[in-house]
Amino acid sequence: MRFLIPLLLTPALALALAAKPKPGEGPDPQQIEYYYRQEIPLPFGEVMEIGSIALMPERRIAVTTRRGDLWICSGAYDKDLSKVIWKKFAQGLHEPFGLSFQKGTFTLTQRGEVTHLRDKDGDGLADSFRTLCGDWGSASNYHEYAFGTPPDKNGDIWVALCLTGSSRAESDWRGWCVRVTPDGKMIPTCSGIRSPGGIGFNSTGDVFYTDNQGLWNGSSSLKWLKPGSFQGNPAGNKFHALADLPAPPLPAEGSRVLAERLKHPAFIPPAVILPHGAVGHSPTGIACDQSGGKFGPWKSQLYIGEQTYSQVQRISLEQVNGLYQGAVFHMLDGFESGLVPVTLDQTEGILFVGGTNRGWASRGSKTFSLERVAWTGTIPFEILTMTANKDGFTLTFTEPVDPLVAGDPASYTMAAWTYILQKGYGSPEVDQAIPKITKATVAPDKKTVRLTIAGLVRGHVHHLASRGVKSAAGKPLWHADAWYTLNEIPD
Amino acid sequence: MTLKVSALLLSACALTVPAFGQDGGQLFTLYCSACHGADGKGATGGLFPPLAGSPWVAGPPDRIINITLSGLSGPVNVLGKTYNLEMPPQGAAIPDDQLAAVVTYVRSSWGNTGTAVTPELVKKIRAESGNRTEHWTAAELLKLHPLDETPALGNLLSYSYEGAWTALPDFSKLQPSAVEEEQKGFLSLEKAGKKRPLTIAWEGNLTIPADGDYEFQIETKGRARILLDGVALPATKGRGKGPPKGALTHLTKGLRKFRLEYFNAKGKANLEVAWRAKGAENWNPLSDPSTTSVQPSILLQPTAGRPVIYRNFIADATPRTLCVGFPGGVNLAFSIDHLAPQSVWTGKFIDAGLHWTDRGNGLQSPAGTKVVNLSGKPAYPSGTRFLGYDLDAAGNPTFLAKSGTLEIHDAYTSPAPATLVRKITITGTPGSTAPLVLAESATADPSSQGSYNIDGKLTLIAPEASLATGNTLVLPLVPGKTEIRYLWR
Repeated sequence: MRFLIPLLLTPALALALAAKPKPGEGPDPQQIEYYYRQEIPLPFGEVMEIGSIALMPERRIAVTTRRGDLWICSGAYDKDLSKVIWKKFAQGLHEPFGLSFQKGTFTLTQRGEVTHLRDKDGDGLADSFRTLCGDWGSASNYHEYAFGTPPDKNGDIWVALCLTGSSRAESDWRGWCVRVTPDGKMIPTCSGIRSPGGIGFNSTGDVFYTDNQGLWNGSSSLKWLKPGSFQGNPAGNKFHALADLPAPPLPAEGSRVLAERLKHPAFIPPAVILPHGAVGHSPTGIACDQSGGKFGPWKSQLYIGEQTYSQVQRISLEQVNGLYQGAVFHMLDGFESGLVPVTLDQTEGILFVGGTNRGWASRGSKTFSLERVAWTGTIPFEILTMTANKDGFTLTFTEPVDPLVAGDPASYTMAAWTYILQKGYGSPEVDQAIPKITKATVAPDKKTVRLTIAGLVRGHVHHLASRGVKSAAGKPLWHADAWYTLNEIPD
Repeated sequence: MTLKVSALLLSACALTVPAFGQDGGQLFTLYCSACHGADGKGATGGLFPPLAGSPWVAGPPDRIINITLSGLSGPVNVLGKTYNLEMPPQGAAIPDDQLAAVVTYVRSSWGNTGTAVTPELVKKIRAESGNRTEHWTAAELLKLHPLDETPALGNLLSYSYEGAWTALPDFSKLQPSAVEEEQKGFLSLEKAGKKRPLTIAWEGNLTIPADGDYEFQIETKGRARILLDGVALPATKGRGKGPPKGALTHLTKGLRKFRLEYFNAKGKANLEVAWRAKGAENWNPLSDPSTTSVQPSILLQPTAGRPVIYRNFIADATPRTLCVGFPGGVNLAFSIDHLAPQSVWTGKFIDAGLHWTDRGNGLQSPAGTKVVNLSGKPAYPSGTRFLGYDLDAAGNPTFLAKSGTLEIHDAYTSPAPATLVRKITITGTPGSTAPLVLAESATADPSSQGSYNIDGKLTLIAPEASLATGNTLVLPLVPGKTEIRYLWR
């Protein structure tokens, strides 16, 4: 660890340095034992509302701003952050949300197009802005954002196109995810999108995006962009006719996701619902941990940004009967602004996050920020994974549990609910159920607990609170809550 | 209770005895505090509207219930400041009992003294609004539920003047063309009309509650100054826009004669005036709180001798438009959709304040004068594709397009004031005989061959161009190099 502060500070001093939590809304004073968060100084006098972060060779990073600039930073990995050097590479871009760097070329997703940027004459300024593809429409509406991935294994860029005003489809392909091939062709790939906040890959290269609570989204969620799938919001359905594609399903107003997706196999349910309020308000960027343990033990899990709560949350996924599902956990808290891009350097295990709260409020009170997080090397006592069984869930823990309490069903509580699938904005939690935890079986390794549960409900969010669980060393869980979306109950 | 909150919330509810079985404070923290702040003052140091002390929250509860149920979109003036955001509707997500609890909490917290709200009232208003799914606008709501605000200024009169001055005139030498009573007691441009320049002076009584220091602010894109008892307050240097930020004026308790002189040369007029005692949290509006303001100005200009580029949503332009401001004051709006310069202008480049404030909703017009619209149509035959642009070492753009095997390089520079030079290089084999459209309403200049007049403002010199039907100026789309000059008259 190159900027491992806890080596220098005693835990007590480190705690004293952590910001004071406000009641009810973090930041969490324990965090600094496990993760060390630092602001990266930004160029003086510039308004750097960060929309994307890309990693570059030689330990440089590049960011784009909502005002349309692209800056390159040297020193963002160094111990002494006061010496970072910023250079402006390009300006006049249209509110980009998606940047990556390959062999001397930036691939940028801006509102109207995917662009390749290069500095051909080597003077440190972009001089070549080549449009790879801009075949989707625009109604000159501020909400028509475009979020793009780095190239996938085929070299395609996946672009999630927000609806006009986040509710209507007034220009072509709004509410769709399109793929842009290396030769600039646009392939409409998924329909049913409302208002994305980020897009990224999981460990096997499948593509996910976050969609925000609103019309046809009872709560925000992480969704799987399975090619050909429908994601739930029918506003942009009409565009299938432009490319002679099959019409996406039209879900019944007031129904449930489960009922509609059983009727319409193209309707892929949210992989993980992020219950509105309890988990967050506005999920954003996605990064997958393939660092081989450099950022903690969360192998192959996803980190997602939460704009309103200024947090990074953790998601463990599994596939059951062909669908993704899994659990969301709170993780990192107390960032300075509303997080949008989340990028993990897999080689060094450093998480870079960028923030802006212009137009959308955040707990973090700065109007923009760039921050980095490093793992201190101390593993928190947490639920590592939560997976579904026919008759309950299996929890794995990051360290051995106290078998006495972890083996007691009374150490856990569970509640389950779902949402109305409706045109209205959001939904109350409905169809409540209280699944009964009848047995908690601790495995011989003491790191696995199998919960036997009566009354699991297919399609429901299952909120597990493991407040009674303690580690063998007597510690409670850092985060006792997990929200598992049970799309399918395994056979 | 029709709704299960999380187990966390249930346990919290069990500890308190909230009105109607719901804990409004908990619900506020969960659903509202992210934007409005746990202290009700608006998150991020007031970038979002405050609820504490807000007249939008006070008075009859219908207004606040309607906003909470159906949301609010667009500009809204709260305690002297305009916010242009979107409040998401909560009606479909939060049931009546919870909504009543949270509204009651807001109306009774942070010094607010509104009456409690029952679930039955929420239910009634929900039904009356027909489960409205469209966001409210501030203007709509104010018509139905005006704010209960004491007029800021007593005996307020407005004096309108007509004349052709270009700055704040000397009012003592003028005769007003109209005098009217401002019945609402606020400075208002509501009845000002579209005639420009717009010149108004208001006079009324301002009640100073106590001896002390007071701060005044004026937001306008025109010019304005305040006089108290005949003495002008210090003005921002050279701009005529009222006192500089933080400037204090000592005033003694009692009635002071308030006068505001205002001038707006052209375009949309706006005037937002507010005052507060030193150290006070909120501004008290002196201008009509139901009217809204323009955004703060962020004027973009070329820096370090290089052109500045602004890509955003531009008025009277296609959605994909890239604006270039050249050093020397020539500006270009290039439509990527049409692959054509759609307008050119001189003077100031563009004001990014609209797009770089709040959510950036709306279309921005050029900041400069002498805007000339060249074309609103695609320049090339259909199927021509935008390939991007290159910048030369000085930062001048060359736009690239492809039509079949034809490659088009369309380069722009401004080598002299009021001069735009365009160099078109075409290579390849033409796939059709369709020409390149340069301008849509050109007339030949009889005195000079190859010279065309556009809009009476611009001379276009294009020796190889010719006029087609309907005064369209076209250029043959064939391989070769062409230079076109745009000269302002």
